[in-house]
Amino acid sequence: MQAEVTRTPVNDIRLLLIGEPGFVRSWIAGGELNRLGFCGVVILLGAGSYGAAMGYWRAPLQGLFVAIKLPLILILTTFGNALLNAMLAPLLGLNISFRQTCLAILMSFTIASAILGSFSPLAAFVIWNSPAMTADFHISGRTYSLIQLTHVAVIAFAGIVANLRLIQLLRQLSGSIVIARRVLIGWLAGNLFLGSQLSWILRPFIGAPNLPIEFLRASAFQGNFYESLFHSLARVLNVN
Amino acid sequence: MNNTNPVPPPIPIVASSTPVRAPLGESPDEREPIPNAVVTVEAILRQPRRVMYQLCRPGSGRLVGGMLFIVILCSLVYGVVVGSFSMGAQLWAAPLKITGGLLLSSIICLPSLYIFTCLSGSRARLVEICGLVGGLLALMSIMLVGFAPVAWLFSQSTESLVWMGALHLVFWIIATCFGLRFLVSGFSHSQARSTAGLSTWIIMFVLVSLQMTTALRPIIGKSDAFLPKDRKLFLSYWGDCLNSPQAAAQHESTPPK
Repeated sequence: MQAEVTRTPVNDIRLLLIGEPGFVRSWIAGGELNRLGFCGVVILLGAGSYGAAMGYWRAPLQGLFVAIKLPLILILTTFGNALLNAMLAPLLGLNISFRQTCLAILMSFTIASAILGSFSPLAAFVIWNSPAMTADFHISGRTYSLIQLTHVAVIAFAGIVANLRLIQLLRQLSGSIVIARRVLIGWLAGNLFLGSQLSWILRPFIGAPNLPIEFLRASAFQGNFYESLFHSLARVLNVN
Repeated sequence: MNNTNPVPPPIPIVASSTPVRAPLGESPDEREPIPNAVVTVEAILRQPRRVMYQLCRPGSGRLVGGMLFIVILCSLVYGVVVGSFSMGAQLWAAPLKITGGLLLSSIICLPSLYIFTCLSGSRARLVEICGLVGGLLALMSIMLVGFAPVAWLFSQSTESLVWMGALHLVFWIIATCFGLRFLVSGFSHSQARSTAGLSTWIIMFVLVSLQMTTALRPIIGKSDAFLPKDRKLFLSYWGDCLNSPQAAAQHESTPPK
């Protein structure tokens, strides 16, 4: 089967997913407004549709909220850490500009969003086949675990593929796998740190039957992800 | 003087046991256009490489449309046979559910197949992927029509819902295996570096299709409602069917399937 390379959004996504060296390299060179627009649309549609499927289990309104929140996390993480990531790259051995840093990270989020979008019909089907999450309905642990595991598997897969493509790009730019790995780890650490807290603030995603449907919890800005993690760990280990 | 040739005769070249994959369109037969649905059915069964080659040509959308037409027609026919077990409303409900379920399963799984294809480094375009899925469904539904007389015969001679369910499942598994063989063969011509993604997708497609039979129940038996009110996973539903003594005894008294 042969491909005819014509510049369409679908083809662009295809080339990004394939990791076509020439295309990926040209990705961060020039035409940034077009690229930004393209990334924005793919993130909004891809992550948005997956978010809608995720939240729909609780209620359609929750689906709408998560369809807004999931792309928001990706966009806020990109721009929230843009300055830090642009500084880390040259410090870790990769001499690229601020604009190129943003585009490289956006590229990885675009790939992740395209994958999430492609799995959204599947996630919606799993949720459609599960008992509805209503206040008077007892959800079995097995159902909840199945849905949770589906989300974890899909999001992990999207994240891993996106980072594999990102490290390929970094390797091309730096010419060294060691530098590429170092920069990727630096960026990942920063993005995971900010992304986890953003997810904590923007909760709920799946929702709970005994809690109201809302865009943000009343306690959104109380505490943080790491505090909660620490308390959970302390409870598990029985530390007072 | 001995006049015999001292050079031994050449050892005949034995063909390698590993089949060499010839590029599509190498044979003139494969380059023959596929003008209509009847030729499409014949080509899918006898010359799958011709279908694969035509899918790579410009204007393959018409071929994909033709394959969809075959899917709808054949699955409607098979659906009528499935519905003939319970008769009544199932004569129109079963064809509708089987056709809808088949198309819905592929629509749900198509985006992820495209993503897996791209990730494996394949050069196949979206229309080619749609064509391969169309070929998978077309071959499945053609084979199901082939099984239809057997299924009808059994449906007229048994009262057991479980038995009929198992029989249709076996037919579906066989048809799916042949359909997937077409898909895998088409995929092997797409310059993909790995087939891991395709294997994952095949598992997903099979699971979604199996779940679809539970989501759209009853397909074989009777029920007052067109679609079920409660939601179940197919394994727990099948378990319920097997454990229910009425299910095997009389299909009239068994609500779902």
